[in-house]
Formats: sequence, structure tokens, C-alpha cells
Amino acid sequence: MYEFQQIAAALYLAAGVGALLGLVLPAPRMLFGARLGLALGAVFQAAAFATLHRLDPAPALTDLAQALSIATWLGILFGLALLTRIRLPGFMPVLGLVAFLGAFGATLSSPVSAGEAGVGSGSIPHAHVLLSSAGLAALGLAGLAGLFFLLEHRSLKRRHKLARRFPLPSLEGLDRVNRVALALGFALLTFGVATGVLWNEARSGQALAGGLHETWTVAAWMIYLGLFALRFLGRQGARQAAASALAGFAFLVFAVVGIGIVS
Amino acid sequence: MKVVVFGMNHRTAPVEIRERFAVPDAGSVLRKLSDRPEIGEAVLISTCNRVELVVTTANPDAVQHVLLEFFARELASETLPARASLREMTYLHHGREAVEHVFRVASAVDSMVVGEPQILGQVKDAYRAAVEAASCGAVLSRLFQRAFATAKRVKSETGIAERPVSVARVAVQLAKQIFETLESKSALLVGAGDMIEAALVALDDHGLGSRRVVNRTPAHAEALARRFGGTAHGLDELDLLLPETDVVLACVGGSGPILTRERVEASLRRRQGRPLFLIDIGVPRNIDPGVHEIDSAYLYDLDDLQEVADSNEEERRREVRRAEQIIVEEREHFEGWLVALQAVPTIRDLTQRAETIRRGEVDRFAGRLGLDDPRRELLEQMTRSIVNKLLHAPISRLRDETDREVGLIRLEEARVLFGLDALPAGRDESAVPQALGDDDEPETVD
Repeated sequence: MYEFQQIAAALYLAAGVGALLGLVLPAPRMLFGARLGLALGAVFQAAAFATLHRLDPAPALTDLAQALSIATWLGILFGLALLTRIRLPGFMPVLGLVAFLGAFGATLSSPVSAGEAGVGSGSIPHAHVLLSSAGLAALGLAGLAGLFFLLEHRSLKRRHKLARRFPLPSLEGLDRVNRVALALGFALLTFGVATGVLWNEARSGQALAGGLHETWTVAAWMIYLGLFALRFLGRQGARQAAASALAGFAFLVFAVVGIGIVS
Repeated sequence: MKVVVFGMNHRTAPVEIRERFAVPDAGSVLRKLSDRPEIGEAVLISTCNRVELVVTTANPDAVQHVLLEFFARELASETLPARASLREMTYLHHGREAVEHVFRVASAVDSMVVGEPQILGQVKDAYRAAVEAASCGAVLSRLFQRAFATAKRVKSETGIAERPVSVARVAVQLAKQIFETLESKSALLVGAGDMIEAALVALDDHGLGSRRVVNRTPAHAEALARRFGGTAHGLDELDLLLPETDVVLACVGGSGPILTRERVEASLRRRQGRPLFLIDIGVPRNIDPGVHEIDSAYLYDLDDLQEVADSNEEERRREVRRAEQIIVEEREHFEGWLVALQAVPTIRDLTQRAETIRRGEVDRFAGRLGLDDPRRELLEQMTRSIVNKLLHAPISRLRDETDREVGLIRLEEARVLFGLDALPAGRDESAVPQALGDDDEPETVD
């Protein structure tokens, strides 16, 4: 399993560097090769997850490194799907490097087994991790699109500072990615939080035990609820949507990862 | 054989002189030129910015006068200035300068607008015309093939052709930074003059969706709308049309802005945050500059577009340094090939001389010893083997060093050491491919 993760990490790194060189030189063939590298890396990472249960002891999916690895894998799948529809060459180096960190981090960690982690039995914990990770990945993509949108917007507003070696996608394309990823990510996060509540109830008899992770995650979900309402029910502009997607994702990362480190 | 370039371009001659040298039929000119004894091969590059003859000659110093006369007599369509002024308006490059010049021209490094895409097609046409006129041989064919490869490298390895440098193309570039595609986008043209038309043509090249024209004079609006397949409207319909518009092109006469900030803000509220791209090419300006401060509105006036175009041109010029490095590399490859070509006669003379000596000695000794046929054959084999082994090292050395500066010196040394210049110099072109072969087998002499 770790071999597969290592191969996937190496492929992601090569794809990220290749995409960066492809943009700088510029060399379209390198960009195409980088896209293939990302796809191949995703296949190896999928193989790693598929063989996870063979490890002795089998790691819990609730292990943070594994969960982040799943999130980056899903992010790559979303990203590759978007690349088939929208001109997004500027995305590829970032996707490759973020995926590398996710896959490589999983190979470095020494996860505790499901039994030791007190995961409990049944499919609820796994559903919680998978759905939350997928939500994190999609919302990460929305945040990334938001960041690129703000850079492109700034460049257009500054008028004469338009010459750039890295062609970013169009504002319209980035806004669409932001919109789709936010809708999908919020839905997945909602299911992730709901399954988390069910898991809590099964373990301790309480829907919310008041732990830091739960409290901050619920706060993040409420923030996204507000962003979702503003985006799809209100009249939020594209720039505000981009800025809020970026800020929302930063908060979510803190709620899921950062709070554990701080506490 | 040296490559020589003789001609004039936008830097050396004004357009009223250059236009007198426009050549409608390159074929007949090239046939006349290649009939001259001083000229080997010839290609004529004739564009609106340059008229150049690329030729091969054995005597580059003497050819300038010939080419100048040919230029004046055969190419000029009208009366010309005195020869002295014509000489000042022309230039002559030979050797490596000429090769680099051809590579620079094909790569658009020498163009008036650096990186412009048309020149490569024009150089290809010039080469094709020379091939059809049978005035292009091995050297110029190789030169032009390398020139096309160099242009391809320059285009893909540098940013020389990346950024648009005309105002209309800059507008298209900006539109593509805002919109994913122009195909589903709607343009509103405020005004119906030439400037609007030029910008519209550039946007149309990228598949603009629909276009609507508003103008004070409805007849002008209708004429433009008819030409570009759009609809015509009066200025009073502006507020109705604006919310459905993605690109606004404005260039209409008047004393103040037609599109105020309030007007644009009101229309944007109905667009649900979709971006609006506005190009104001009117003088005085037709759109309030404050519109650019609205989040979803991106306004560029003529000065902004020109500034971007200038900045892009500056970027292209910076890329020229990288292009020059590629040109020098490619010139060195071509020179290596050219020297290798020059090594062919020397190698052939050397092997011929060795064979003559061998055969003479075999005849002499076979007669003196009274050898029968089988023994004579053995003697033939032995002497052939000795000659091949002796010549293998010098011939390999001559071949190997042809791609270096020292190659020509080695050729001269070989001719002196082996007394080859005493031989009648055969210049059989058919010997070229064999002598330039890559095999390391000893040279056979029979």
C-alpha cells in the first residue's frame, strides 16, 4: 500500500514540476505529459486505498494523514474532470504539488489501527471520513479557483501589468469552477457532518459531544451554509464569491487540521 | 561555396523605394539570376518590408557589383535613384552573417514588428518559388530547411510571438482573460466608424456570438450591422441592450461620456455578477473612467490598450536575446554541414590519388614478377587492404572535424600534404551522399 502511495507521490511531483516547466518554457507536450502523470498518480493512489485493508494492523480511515490523502486524491479527480472541460493550464502545477504533499504525507505517517483508534464497527465512520474528505477536496478546489480569480482580477484591474509567463484561466472559467466546486463540496460536507453526528451518537449516545473538532467543524459548516446562501440565493458578485471561497477554505482547514495541532 | 544575402529592408530604404522593387514573378527573375556564371543557387524574398536575394557564390567579394546591377536592371519597376544612393540603401552579408540573417528573417527577429507570424509563410513561399524555378540546390535547400526549423524553435522556446502587439489583438487577448469563449458572447457596438469595424473584425476572428450596433445615425448602424450580420438600434435603446451585453465597443463622437458609471452599475445589477468588458476607443472618451472601479466591469481605453501593446512589444524585444542564442546554435549546425560538404572533393581526391598509385604499383610488380591471375588477385587484395587501412585515419579525421572551426584548416593541410591540388579537381555532385555517410568502414578505393 505504501509503495503505491510512494509511486503516486512521485508521479504527482513529476507532474507538478512538468506542468510548471510546461508553462514557463512554454511546452504544450510537457503540459500534456503532466496531465497524464496526474491521471496515472490517481490510479496508483486508488490502488493504495483499495489495498489498505491488507495492512496489518489495518489503519483507520479516520487517521488524519489518510483522510488528507483521500481528500487530495478526490481533488485530483475533480481537477482532472475540470481540465477536460475548461482551459486551466495554470491549475496543473498547483494540483500536482498539493497532491504530492497529500500522498507523501500518508507514506510518512504511522497510522494507528482501527481498533486502537476506537473507530467502532460499521460503515458510518468510513462514510464520514470519505464524505468529509471529498467535501474538503471540492471546497479546496473552490478556494484555489477563488485565489486564481483574485489574481486574474487584480491583473486586469491594474491594466498595464498584464504581461505574464503563467497564463491563468479566464475569470468566467474560474468563477464556474468556484460555483460547481462550492455546490458539490457543500453537499458532501453536509453529508460528512451528518454521518459524523450519527457516528458520535452511536459511540457516546450524544449527537454532539462538544469536542474541539466537532465544534469547529460545525462552525465551518455554518459558515459554508452562509456562503452557499449568498452565492446561490443572494446577489454575491464573482469577486466576493472568490474571496469568500478562499477564506472559507482557510477556516475549514483550520477546523479540520489546524485545531488538532493548536490544541 | 559561400552564402550571400543582398537586399534592402525597412531599415535601409523608405517604402517609396522598396515598392519599386516589388517582384510579381519571382520565377523568371530567379532563372535570369541563376544563369549568371558568378551565381550558384538563388532565392528571392520579396515582402512589403524587404527585397532580398539569397545566393551561393564561389567569390563573395566580386558578387556585390553583380547583384547591385541585377537589382537595378532586373528588379526595379521604375526609374531609380543613382547607383551610389542605391548602394547606400542596400546591404550585403556573406558567410555566417548571411546565414544568421536568413535565420533572423524567417524567425521574425528582423521584422518591423518583432515576432509577427506572416514572415515565415512569405519565406516558405520564396523558397517554394525557387524550387519551382530550379534555382535552389543542395546548399540553399539545406539553409532554408534549417531556417524553418530555427523559426519553429524560436517560436516554441521563446515568448517572441506570444503577446499581441496591435491594439485590436490586445483587446481580444483581454476578452479571453475575462471570458472562457467569445462564441456565446454578445457585443454592443456604440458607433459605426472605422475603428469600431477594425476592433470588431479582430473579435469576429475569434468567433464572437452576436453583435448589435447603436449609433446616432441609424443608416450607418444599419450598414455596419448588415456587413457583420448584426442588428441596428438607436442610442435611446442603450439601457435596454446593456444588461444583455458582454462586450461593449465604444467610439462615437460627442462631448461627454455616453456610458456613465450609474448607467453601467444599473445594468450590472441585472447581470447577476457576470463580467462586462468595455473598450473605449473614442476621443474624447465615451465611457466614464469610473466604470473600471466597478467590480465586474473591466474598462480599457485607447491609451490602456496601447500601453499593453507597447509593454508586450517590449517583452518581445527582451525575448530577442534568447532567439539570437538559438540562431547562433543553428548557424553553427549549418556551418558544420557546409564544411562537411566542402570536405567531399578532398576525400574523393585523396582516395583517387591513392588508388592511382596502388594500381600503378600493382601493374609494375605483377609484370616484373610474371604473376598469374590468382596471384595477381591476391596482390590486388593485399594492396587494397593496405591503402584502406592507411587512409582510414585521415579520412575519419577530416569527416569528424568538419563541424568545427579547425575543419577547413585540416582540409587545406590534407591537400598540401598529399599533393592533391596537382590533380584535376573533379566536382561530381553524386559523390556527396556517400562521402558524407556516417559509416566508419574504411574508404574503398575501387
